[in-house]
Amino acid sequence: MTRLTGAMLTLLLTAPLPGAAAPPVPAPAPALTELYADARQPDISGLWLLTGAFYFAPDRSVPELLGEYKALYARRMQAFDAGHPIDDVTADCLPAGMPHMDVVPYPFEIMQTPGRVTILYEYDSVVRRIPVGPTGSGTGDSGTAASAAAADVDPSYYGVSAGHWEGDTLIVETRHIRADTQVDFSGLPHSDALTITERFRRKDATTLENRITLDDPKAYAAPFTVTRLYRLHPRWKIAEYSCSENNRNRTDAQGRTSSGVAER
Amino acid sequence: MQPVRICSLPPLLRAALIVISGLAGAAASAHHSFAMYDREHPVTIAGEVREFQWTNPHVWIQVLVPKPGGGMEEWSVECTSVNYLTRWGWTRHTLTPGDKVALKVYPLKDGSKGGSLAELTSINGRAPNLVRQE
Repeated sequence: MTRLTGAMLTLLLTAPLPGAAAPPVPAPAPALTELYADARQPDISGLWLLTGAFYFAPDRSVPELLGEYKALYARRMQAFDAGHPIDDVTADCLPAGMPHMDVVPYPFEIMQTPGRVTILYEYDSVVRRIPVGPTGSGTGDSGTAASAAAADVDPSYYGVSAGHWEGDTLIVETRHIRADTQVDFSGLPHSDALTITERFRRKDATTLENRITLDDPKAYAAPFTVTRLYRLHPRWKIAEYSCSENNRNRTDAQGRTSSGVAER
Repeated sequence: MQPVRICSLPPLLRAALIVISGLAGAAASAHHSFAMYDREHPVTIAGEVREFQWTNPHVWIQVLVPKPGGGMEEWSVECTSVNYLTRWGWTRHTLTPGDKVALKVYPLKDGSKGGSLAELTSINGRAPNLVRQE
């Protein structure tokens, strides 16, 4: 029996089928400068770290919560104060989701390319891909904001984002976020109707400003806005981070856990 | 209000609180006392490194400490993440099994042999040479 060698396999897979047209020649790859820089966008690139507290609002103010969300937050705060927070998807290293990622104590890197802004977060090695439409268009390449809102999209931890520039400010709208993510580590809830609007601008050479509005007509009486600042760390590098590597403090459904002390 | 038991908190929250405590001492940002660890009464433990877990979400140092009456007991000392310690000048080689260390630790309030690292005081009799990244 003839054994199929690697070379034969390659031939089989790459040889054109009899009668088939030759595959189209791919267009030459764009130059790197074209891929990794976009002079048409204001520059918000760099490696940034949150300043201030890790609550969504540094002064711990919260939106006026409605109905079941008010009761839910009260239950969570009671458990939090008792030392066993409940409902936190990060307890077993599930993704923190949005808008929590705006206020985590780990740096993120912003990369700008034509038609896209990419945020590379150190925490849990998360990536957010934000299509960015032309200045003033109010759209990203995923379509208009209105059609994105109407679309039947699976809810996800980080939702679906679309961005556009207004002057020096990148405006990013994010929808279709899972209702089980928390706004911050205090357990502040939101509903599946949440729309997040982030307004990023470079306040000065080493400061990134992000005005974040949470609009959630199901859970909040009115839109809630905070302004967060991030400091540039030009010499840092984003490192790998896996929460599942050695999590010695997993919690159960009641939010209780061992101390992580080795038993021997 | 009950103090928050830091080890019973989810990893991201614990990271936040440990970072706060590592950077700024008692953080003004959280109205909670964030410790199952007793921050009021740090203790110094001296012993031999059994294992250095250079891992996320948190780094752990397992230390064999001589007991007053003879024999050894093992302490589990929780640090912040690899990412933060790296920026504070640590590497995976900072500690090696067998190293004699002195650690300032915020001990567990429940008396279990564990704590949160406040300071790595010495390694084999010398002060550690840790240079923070700016």
